Amino acid sequence: MRRIAFLFLAAASLLGAAEGATRPRYGGTVRVMLQSAPTSLELPAGGTPADYWDAARILSMIADNLVEIDTAGHAQPALALSWQSDMNGKRWQFTLRRGVKFHDGTAALPATITQILGERHSDWTVRTAGDSLTVESESPMPSLLAELALPRNAILKRSASGLPVGTGAFRVADFQPGKLLKLAANEESWAGRPFADAIEIELGKSQRDQAIALELTKTDLIETPPQAITANGGAQRVRASLPVELMALVFPSSSKAQDARVREALALAIDRKPIQSVLLKGAGEPAASILPNWMTGYSRVFPVQANLQRARVVLAGSRQPALTLSYDPRDPQAQLIAERIALNAREIDVTLQVSLSGVADVTLTRIVLPSSDSATCLREAALELGMTQPLLHGNSVEDLYSSERALLDLHNVIPLFHLPIATAAGARLRNWQPGRTGNWNLSDVWLEADSR
Amino acid sequence: MRFRQKLLLIFALTVFLCVAVISASVWNSMQRSFEHANDDRANSVAAQFRSEFQRRGDEVARKVEAAAASESVQRIALEINRGAVDSGGYVSEARNLAGQQHLDFLELVDHQGTILSSAQWQAKFGYPEPAIPSSIASAGAFLKREELPSGSTLGLFAIRAAGVGEQPLYAIGGERLDQGFLSTLDIPAGTRVMLYQNLDANWNPKSLLDLNGAAAGADKLAPLVEQVRRSGKEARSVIRWTSDSSDAESFHAMPLAGPNQQAMGVLLVGSSRRPLVELQKQIVSAAMLVGGTGILVAILVSLWFAARVTKPVVSLADAARRVAAGDLYAKVNVESSDELGELAAAFNRMTEDLLQQKERTLQAERVAAWRELARRLAHELKNPLFPLQVTVENLIRAKEKAPEMFEEVFREGTATLLAEVNNLKTIIGRFSEFSRMPQPQRKATQLNEIVTSVLRVFHAQLKEKSQIVVRTELEPDLPMISADPDLLHRALSNLILNAIDALPQGGEIIVQSKSFANRVELSVSDTGSGLTPEECGRLFTPYYTTKQHGTGQGLAIVQSVVSDHGGRMSVESTKQGGTTFRIELPR
Repeated sequence: MRRIAFLFLAAASLLGAAEGATRPRYGGTVRVMLQSAPTSLELPAGGTPADYWDAARILSMIADNLVEIDTAGHAQPALALSWQSDMNGKRWQFTLRRGVKFHDGTAALPATITQILGERHSDWTVRTAGDSLTVESESPMPSLLAELALPRNAILKRSASGLPVGTGAFRVADFQPGKLLKLAANEESWAGRPFADAIEIELGKSQRDQAIALELTKTDLIETPPQAITANGGAQRVRASLPVELMALVFPSSSKAQDARVREALALAIDRKPIQSVLLKGAGEPAASILPNWMTGYSRVFPVQANLQRARVVLAGSRQPALTLSYDPRDPQAQLIAERIALNAREIDVTLQVSLSGVADVTLTRIVLPSSDSATCLREAALELGMTQPLLHGNSVEDLYSSERALLDLHNVIPLFHLPIATAAGARLRNWQPGRTGNWNLSDVWLEADSR
Repeated sequence: MRFRQKLLLIFALTVFLCVAVISASVWNSMQRSFEHANDDRANSVAAQFRSEFQRRGDEVARKVEAAAASESVQRIALEINRGAVDSGGYVSEARNLAGQQHLDFLELVDHQGTILSSAQWQAKFGYPEPAIPSSIASAGAFLKREELPSGSTLGLFAIRAAGVGEQPLYAIGGERLDQGFLSTLDIPAGTRVMLYQNLDANWNPKSLLDLNGAAAGADKLAPLVEQVRRSGKEARSVIRWTSDSSDAESFHAMPLAGPNQQAMGVLLVGSSRRPLVELQKQIVSAAMLVGGTGILVAILVSLWFAARVTKPVVSLADAARRVAAGDLYAKVNVESSDELGELAAAFNRMTEDLLQQKERTLQAERVAAWRELARRLAHELKNPLFPLQVTVENLIRAKEKAPEMFEEVFREGTATLLAEVNNLKTIIGRFSEFSRMPQPQRKATQLNEIVTSVLRVFHAQLKEKSQIVVRTELEPDLPMISADPDLLHRALSNLILNAIDALPQGGEIIVQSKSFANRVELSVSDTGSGLTPEECGRLFTPYYTTKQHGTGQGLAIVQSVVSDHGGRMSVESTKQGGTTFRIELPR
């Protein structure tokens, strides 16, 4: 009896603590660790997906876009409260939120926003009309809202020192390039002051260092490989996004694999499942399409199973030069995956030499799928993969499928996996609800009362 | 070639041959010794390699055994037997274990031969491992070709099973057999080791490794390696890297067999031939020095010996030459009692006999000459004496029987007596003149001019005898000689006169002049009846004549003139074939 009474009291105390923890609390510094070590607070050009995500997350805390896109691909108000377009989508009008101020205290007037957007898009005509602004183009812009929601279209200015000045929940307090970024709460944020007083981001920390720091409660939020979800058994809360990255083989125009049959055969020879289950430790999804299934719903139409028999039939009679397979050495999994692909290629007598030197005939690459809007995502992916821009004849799924199919039928790109990104939060971080597309929302988190 | 020179040459050749034979013998012996030493060295390295191979094999087997007995492998084996196979959890196990055990290769393979984890090729999980005979799972190390992402390589492997449950888990581990392995061998100086990894169907020069990686000039070793690859047996060859023979190396190639006895590799032990070549050069130099010295000494000794041996022969030859030159008093002083001594004694006896014979001949000739002289004198003197006798008898008879006619007879008789006395004087004068032949008064003389002059003198006489035709064949550019033209004129006159006398029935006289390198030649030929050999032999004897009224002095005078000019005279004649007198005078 005494033992049962003890257990009851212990459970009651835990429930009480949990109740206390759910109550929002202002103050404290959220400690974050990131892999990338940017020397400027901009979206990187040619960086790794991790660099992109890190920059996008930082910018999303500093600046706002006109609109946001949810996981269903629908636009949500941000700096723009409402919008409308003409019938053919060539002219869009946005009604802007009033009273918004930049971190430097200046008002985020329509004219300022017009100037910012106009400078970024020379093919647009951006005008101000009272509290609204209009965006016009000679060609239809059905995906304009998704475009405006991309991190590159965040509304921000640059200070004299080149630091971003936005309207977001946090402002830049200190930036030591490549080492440390301190953000302070924006007291005048249009969305309301964030709970945390500050966010301290340590840059250039490896995943191993991040994991150790989280384990030792020296940080509150880290990046983590998605496969850590399966291995997670501690107090850390690991959240994985929807698959927002694509791993694929890309054949550059200079590749010796000029014969499309070789490329198609190689696509058929790759056994994605063992790679996903072993090397990716179950994370992600085998893919034969550019866009993930959650975005389109049709990716299952593209078969991911290896078919060596069919590959050999396709390959029959074609010239099979020895190809050099390159990969991104910054990606810790890329080398093993590349070697596995080379092994698969041996099955059909295609020689893939995994090497980082020389001119690559095929590259194992990982790109970001930056938008929840499928059409925008396909365009961005095609651009990133060096493919021709997709021809979208409409907004329907069929149009999207036809366009993607046309791109893939060239066999210049072999999609392999759709991969999520993941974060792990420490126990003292409360109300941690990362977006399903990998974005963070640190303005809504608070810290436990007993934390420093 | 002189006898002494021949002896000298024979001695020198004998010494040279002896030196050559000894040098060749030493050279062959040395070469065999070197080859033997080279073989010993190669065999030593080969034995060392085998020992090192065995040791490393044992070491590999021990490491693999340790890996198989490790906690992680035992755990994996246990999980497999429980049916829970998750390759994702094992993919790095082999690499970690290989690192712990310092193995280059390690794979964990389940009982179906599927790779669960590979250290050398992590991405190879799920692929089948080529079948390994179960019998070697507990045996020692073996050679095996291993596929790697960067290509194939050769390794020394061992297999051990993790003894957990019914389904065994095999640990297949090994170490590279490459230049790193070669660098662990203790190689004698002047020797190097190379390893050919027999990974391709055809010869691949990149598979030939030395201590620095891919061996340079590998293609020169291709035939040797190919021979070993095909036959599976050891082979040897000498490889010449450059035109310099001292850069050559002797290679001993040994096959390295895999578990199925196929040649997985070829070990090449190379020994520099520089010591041999340098030794050869030293021996050749020494042989040449010794040979040259020997030949020189042999020449000196041969000179002394040949001189000693040939001295009697040379004396004999000198004596023979003197005898040939007419000195029959030549003697050979030979004190030895051998064959040469007998030969010298015989020679001396021969010269004494010849001298005696010559003296007898001279005496006989002298007697014959006196007889001939007496005969000639008698003949010459008899003719004028008979008229003298008759005249004196007539004077006596006239005094006694017809005194009145005595005065007339006396006058006629005294005239006859005076004429005959003068005749006797003339005869005596001719004989006296021959004995008083003068010495030549030399001056530059053109022989053709003398011929022309003599023929001009005989022109009238020859004209009377119209049946004799004179033909001259004179060399136009006949060189001048130093001679007495008057004596030559007289000698040639005698020859022309003889030729005229030899042609009582007419014929042709041919006078020729020719020049040679060291002499000029003048010949007078006739187409007369010719002479017998006996007549030719005695022709130049004074007072010997074949003519009815000759004094026998003409040809003797000619020979005397020619001899006084240092020349030589000869006659060629055949019966009914004419006679040719040839005079040779030095230039």
